[in-house]
Amino acid sequence: MVYEIAGLKVLFKNKYKFTNAYCEKYLAEDQNSYDLVAEATDEEFEEEKKQSPIKNDGYIENICLYRSLCLRLPDFDRFLLHASIVEKDGVAYAFLGKSGAGKSTHSRLWLKYIDGARILNGDKPIIFYDGKEFIAYGTPWNGKEGMGYNGSAKLKALCFIEQAKENKIERLTTSEVATRVFTQLLLPSDEKNAAKTLELVDKFITNIPAFVLKCDISEEAAKLSYRELSKAENF
Amino acid sequence: MKVKSGFVVRAVGDEHIAVPIGDRAKEFHGMIKLNETAEFLWSFFKDEHTEEEGVKALTETYDVSDEEAKNGVSNFVKTMTEHGFME
Repeated sequence: MVYEIAGLKVLFKNKYKFTNAYCEKYLAEDQNSYDLVAEATDEEFEEEKKQSPIKNDGYIENICLYRSLCLRLPDFDRFLLHASIVEKDGVAYAFLGKSGAGKSTHSRLWLKYIDGARILNGDKPIIFYDGKEFIAYGTPWNGKEGMGYNGSAKLKALCFIEQAKENKIERLTTSEVATRVFTQLLLPSDEKNAAKTLELVDKFITNIPAFVLKCDISEEAAKLSYRELSKAENF
Repeated sequence: MKVKSGFVVRAVGDEHIAVPIGDRAKEFHGMIKLNETAEFLWSFFKDEHTEEEGVKALTETYDVSDEEAKNGVSNFVKTMTEHGFME
């Protein structure tokens, strides 16, 4: 079936039904054309199966399909970002951090304390560079909690989350952002897409203001990050 | 000595970043940040050269003393060798 993901028409060649149900909300109206094909090779499937032996085969295949798609996104001016994206007033904010750092928790604080905030994608959004701006897209892959919707919003700021006893937010330099952001990307290993990823990241870190938020899980933490991120300007 | 093949390098922000491609990506995961000197030397050592040639190239291109250039090349070669990026 052909799905429309991040503005691209993708043909998934899946053997298992899992993906059809998983991506249901992204089914393309026109099934007769597509921009790219994603499929899981036997080798990729076996490798993924080793990583998550308890998961069912449909789930394993689904993970492989998304990876196959994401590894070819740079060629289409897009890339996968491991982040939680919150949308407020049509503007997207990306929360990033190591596993367990609290990006989901902080996103939920926004839902609770910032009026009109919605989670666009809780885990694996796709970012598109249209030559001028970066647009965050919701995808079917939205994390354990399944928080997100099929939509998009202009990305305004990045915020790396770290747990702390007191709330503090600081601007990061582009060099600091580069170091931090690389661990949250999927790096293709073919030359064309690897080079394109670096070119996109260059534009990304020089155009999008980035911060580190050291925070607890209070209302004050959400209000602080909202205040600073919503008024952030580029250097 | 030379820098191993199988990396792409691009300007990212104020620095250069090298990432592995092809088979190199299977043995090394991650990225290498290169400052201006390191990027110059990385590019220079793509072809087989001695350390002395590296020092000469640095002093001819940048306004640095022999001593500074020697240290620059020696640090570069040491770090790159430690990480297995040179052969």
